[in-house]
Amino acid sequence: MGYLKYLAFRILNAILVLLIVTFIISALFVKVAEQSNRAKMYEELMQWERTEGSKIKQSQGLEAFERAKAEKQASLEKKYELNIPYWQKVYRKAVRTLRLDFGTTGMPIFGTNKVSDIIKVALPRSVILFTTATIIVIILGIFLGVRAARHAGSVFDRGLSIFALLTYSLPMWWTGMMFLLIFAFKLGWFPLSSMFDPQLTGWAHIKDVLWKLALPVITYVFVAFGGWAWTTRNIMIGTLQEDFIMAARAKGVPERKIIYGHALRAAAPPIVTMIIFSLLGSLGGAIISELVFNYPGMGRLYWVALQQNETNLLIGLTYFFTVLYLAGVVLADMIYGFLDPRVKVGASAKM
Amino acid sequence: MRWVDVKEGLKGFLEEFKREKTGIAGVILLIILVLVALTAPYTTIPDLPEKWRNSQYWEDNPKNVPPTWYNMFTSNKLVPQEVYLLDDLKITHPSDTVTIVEADYTLPKKYVLGPQGIIIKGLNVTLNEPFQAPTMDVYLLRPDGKRVPILTNKQLSSGTTISIGRDSKISANVYIWLVNVTEGKKITMFEVPLETILINDMVAPMFAKVEPGMNVSEIIENPQTLPGNYRLVLQINNPAPKDNQVTYDNIKVTFLGRSYGNMGTDYLGRDLWAGIIWGSRVSLTIGILVSVLSTIIGLVYGVTSAYLGGNADEVMMRINEIFASIPSLPILILIGATAGHITLWFIVLLLVIFGWMGIARISRSMALQIKEQTYIEAAKALGAGNGRIIFKHILPQLLPYAFAVIALSVPGAVIAEASLSFLGIGDPTAVTWGQILNAAQAQSATTKGYWWWVLPPGLGIAVVGLTFVLIGTALDKILNPRLRRL
Repeated sequence: MGYLKYLAFRILNAILVLLIVTFIISALFVKVAEQSNRAKMYEELMQWERTEGSKIKQSQGLEAFERAKAEKQASLEKKYELNIPYWQKVYRKAVRTLRLDFGTTGMPIFGTNKVSDIIKVALPRSVILFTTATIIVIILGIFLGVRAARHAGSVFDRGLSIFALLTYSLPMWWTGMMFLLIFAFKLGWFPLSSMFDPQLTGWAHIKDVLWKLALPVITYVFVAFGGWAWTTRNIMIGTLQEDFIMAARAKGVPERKIIYGHALRAAAPPIVTMIIFSLLGSLGGAIISELVFNYPGMGRLYWVALQQNETNLLIGLTYFFTVLYLAGVVLADMIYGFLDPRVKVGASAKM
Repeated sequence: MRWVDVKEGLKGFLEEFKREKTGIAGVILLIILVLVALTAPYTTIPDLPEKWRNSQYWEDNPKNVPPTWYNMFTSNKLVPQEVYLLDDLKITHPSDTVTIVEADYTLPKKYVLGPQGIIIKGLNVTLNEPFQAPTMDVYLLRPDGKRVPILTNKQLSSGTTISIGRDSKISANVYIWLVNVTEGKKITMFEVPLETILINDMVAPMFAKVEPGMNVSEIIENPQTLPGNYRLVLQINNPAPKDNQVTYDNIKVTFLGRSYGNMGTDYLGRDLWAGIIWGSRVSLTIGILVSVLSTIIGLVYGVTSAYLGGNADEVMMRINEIFASIPSLPILILIGATAGHITLWFIVLLLVIFGWMGIARISRSMALQIKEQTYIEAAKALGAGNGRIIFKHILPQLLPYAFAVIALSVPGAVIAEASLSFLGIGDPTAVTWGQILNAAQAQSATTKGYWWWVLPPGLGIAVVGLTFVLIGTALDKILNPRLRRL
């Protein structure tokens, strides 16, 4: 299979998966929305009965009231889409979602009702927080991992392994709570809440943002870099044992060049895949971590949407996360296929 | 595989495992954890999950106080909880109609603020003559000879609970006493500033230096503790001892600590130590159950997919991709939030449904290699069915790998359960670490500095995680030398 054909196959595949997932998500959320919509409809109907309905009852009698009530109920059912069958609703919702028409929210968030605008506000915030942190983690992780692999078995290597194992079992949000306790409460170095000050503009705003980003970023880096370093170390140790490294050493190539020129390049495909996924994963934002730090990004937005029962916003966010993930899969496949030609041939071509 | 082979393999494996220090450490930790979880009802409070949400059960505990051992690290020591039952109290009957109950309380030097409050309960009253109901006067005798009137002429009935520190009338009495001593004048109930006694700690001034000429608000804001021997006196007047009887068998006087137990208390006065110990049960059960189930499902799915090949493989892998690309935490939150009644079994089910995909992928790629080997073809030629080949010939090859995966995926499952509970989507009848942290977050424990409430549950999660990571990496090293490269 040629590279382009392989790529087309992967993209088509991702689109198919996206269609099905969108349908599943719609089915789930429509079910949730149906209950709350029914409640909203009855509330509005009761409201109508108390005001207009009672007027009609007084002036035109009970019969006219019943008729008017049935009419009102029908119009409300239409408004809340309760008059069409479930699967049709799911289909409509899925099609609208695929067209990126997410609709509006009941209550304004960030000063707007439009779901796509709300996401546009929250997304950059999550990006600056998690992408900054992820980049620091990657650089630190690769650098330390390579160092540990070069001196496998040394005190540094062991220390790093233990640190990685320890941080692997820590929930990030709990670490965040602890860091808040230590650095924000006890020592007072950082703010207790990472909610931005809306009144600041210009340079003061940037300073405010940086100040509030600091602790979440530190937490993320602390929890994540050990695992990265450890994985890099394991990949590098495997690569350093391969024949071509021996050959390079025998040729007298400088050690630095062997590590960074030969070994790291050979170890690149899995590392690049990891980088793509953690960068993309970072865009989604970690729901609970943002909640702990009270940081106004995508994750916290998801929580707010859930609390306020904003189904349209929930669908929008979930769809967004799914698209990101699938884009990551395709991108990773692309780069993997590019870096490692073995992927596209033989039995693994269909993987 | 024959039985002898299994026995031999196991023996060899154990030999090698013994050499892995991290693995041994993990196994020791696991044994400790299992023991802690199993003995929870005996080492702490039995039936804790039933009591956990009943705030009345925790009435006799101080609220939001650190553990007692914390005193070792501070110069300002905090008094521990002290409970007086019938035998610890001095009960005298000066006359037919008067009974005096006395509790001696010592506030040692270097301790600050005294107790958080005092709770008196368990007086049983049989009332036959309501017009001559027994009454009680409560006062505190201080080491400087002063007498704090806490309550006078309080009508008694069964179930009367006097809680100094939580009752605004008592706080008002203390305020009146403070003004009386410092300024020498008597004020009435109506002159007491309400917000002062509602917001401030009115127990500490009872155990602080109060001299004429001092400023009342200064004492309330910054009480200077007066160490020494205190005596709490309950004087019960029973004008009709024949008709109305007061019995003292169940009396309980509690001097609430400023510190409590091994792990302190939360905002309801719940003993966090008991909660943490009980939490280990849920954590271990869910962690192991979820990882075992999702590993088994993933293995069988992956191997079947690889073995069947062709279109069946394509379809099965698409289904796998669909599950993998649904953002799992949001969907879990959504399902949990809308499902209404959530049990632990439901959480296990949810976590398994969204947890088998990675293992399926890896086991498929491993099975693809095994499938090509000659003995599989031989088995096929001999007429073995698909099921037999999958379960008899391919799956056993992947078993060692499965054990390592099970161990390594426990931390993820434990964290996932804690995360769901933390978000308030957990089994409401269970006590879990996530729920303790959820309550801590809801009461903003971090921004108030209640470290004893936040630190232990997370450490618990980390220890469970570490245990299985240690075991998992050791297994991985022994059983799958090829996989060490990841």
